[in-house]
Amino acid sequence: MASSPSNQQTLSGFPLLTAEEFDAACCAFLDRVHVVGDAAVGWSSIQVHQRATGSILRISRYIGLDSSSHPDGPWQGSRMDQESQWEALEDDPEALIRTPVPVACLQVLYDVLLSPTYQVPVLYFQLREDNQPAPLEIDTVYQYLVPDQYKKELRNVGIMGGISFGYHPDSGTPAFFVHPCQTTDAMRRIAEQQCVTPEAYLIIWLGLVGNRLGLQLPKELFTTESMPKFQGAM
Amino acid sequence: MDSKATLGSIQKAVWDGKLPLQITLAPAESRTYDETDPYLISYPRVSYLPSLLPKLRAFFSASLIDPTTSPHEGWFSFEGVPLKWHYPVGLLYDLYAGADPASKGGTDTDLASASDDDPLPWCLTIHFSDWPDEELVRLDADGMVMHDAFINSVKEADFLRNGNAKGIMTLSKEDSSGLWEAVRDVNLPSFQRISNILLPPPSQPFRNVPIRLFLPLPPDSGAPSLKVVQSPIPPSILPSTASATSIAASQSILSAARGPQTQTIGSALHTLLPHLFPSRRTPVLAKPVLHGAAVPMGRPLRRS
Repeated sequence: MASSPSNQQTLSGFPLLTAEEFDAACCAFLDRVHVVGDAAVGWSSIQVHQRATGSILRISRYIGLDSSSHPDGPWQGSRMDQESQWEALEDDPEALIRTPVPVACLQVLYDVLLSPTYQVPVLYFQLREDNQPAPLEIDTVYQYLVPDQYKKELRNVGIMGGISFGYHPDSGTPAFFVHPCQTTDAMRRIAEQQCVTPEAYLIIWLGLVGNRLGLQLPKELFTTESMPKFQGAM
Repeated sequence: MDSKATLGSIQKAVWDGKLPLQITLAPAESRTYDETDPYLISYPRVSYLPSLLPKLRAFFSASLIDPTTSPHEGWFSFEGVPLKWHYPVGLLYDLYAGADPASKGGTDTDLASASDDDPLPWCLTIHFSDWPDEELVRLDADGMVMHDAFINSVKEADFLRNGNAKGIMTLSKEDSSGLWEAVRDVNLPSFQRISNILLPPPSQPFRNVPIRLFLPLPPDSGAPSLKVVQSPIPPSILPSTASATSIAASQSILSAARGPQTQTIGSALHTLLPHLFPSRRTPVLAKPVLHGAAVPMGRPLRRS
């Protein structure tokens, strides 16, 4: 298993992440997806962007709006020219918005960033219909992204549920985000006292937060050879 | 220093601070183009612009070309820049109006600003259609989005002070809504009662001081018109980090002798933005402004 030395180290301050650990986690996760193959995961792209404020793990996927795209159904999305989508995304995120999409579908752009306050990853996401400039409303998020078993739980916390509106810390544009104030407690409950590597932390976190917003991790990512060391049962 | 009375009176002065606003309906949405009478109000600096929307919608209702719009579809702009409604209006003014901050002995600048380009009243434009989705989060009719944004900010401050957000999370539902209502309605006694439940006692040091810096950016920078900088800042600086080059033995002696240093506004700014604040004591390239007033760099961060 090819992993960078930084990825082998366990976290210095679990359940918190440092910027270096977060960066190592993003890069290791990106490598894992590339090894399995971009097509196998059903995402239209995954990238790690380096910014002055830290790394951003960016995952983009399409959801077809036909009946088979129920949140609990298969998450393949529409497969049309993913290669060209990938290239369009490479440098200019806006290029993606202008790329013509032949069938009615939703585009979800997920950005995982490290919160400087909470020192845990935060999931920001934007949901757009075809090439419409206007972002979609929160009801659409619940309808198409949140699996049924999490709907009630997510709607019933906080002022307006577990999903908030805010501004993307890097681009400054409006985005949904999952408030991270409960993340440390949740991570502690799942991986109590474990010595996890940065990548294992990110994978557990994606299972916890991403899973509720339609960012399921395909099982192909967890073949025996590529499984990160959790040093204990999950 | 009898900090209690002083802090209380400063807080009252801040909450009493008002800004004259002159709000004009966007000409494209007005039956009389730019002939519509503006709405004038002396508005608290700590208030948020959307609280004005019901009044503005009623005031301009006869002038609107599209009478079907709702108050919560209203948004504000200043010189073409959409204003983020989740920042208090005083902060928006300090960022965008380009006015010199009030400072002690600053009579010269006061005269200068009065003579040529007086930024007051602050002239804003109100729009009820064409929401700028790329720049502003939409509001809802029930005000939940605003309430949520406010509470998220409080949670963040709570987390920085205590290392967890249990204070705000365990606040009764009544007090939690009460805190937002106190800010929305500019009710200082009610705000003080609830915020005192959240704040740790003065004897207990903060883990970090909640501080967020807003940098106005030039309009031609291509990026959003402001930049927000934030990082956990502890209330005191340990000597070991202050003298990193000392050799181990002498460092431990020095550390023991000096003890932790108090984090000042200047040292925090130098840590967060070393290029903009090369000195910890003197503002060289930029000066910090809080509630419209220049703040001295040497003041302790927590008490200021």
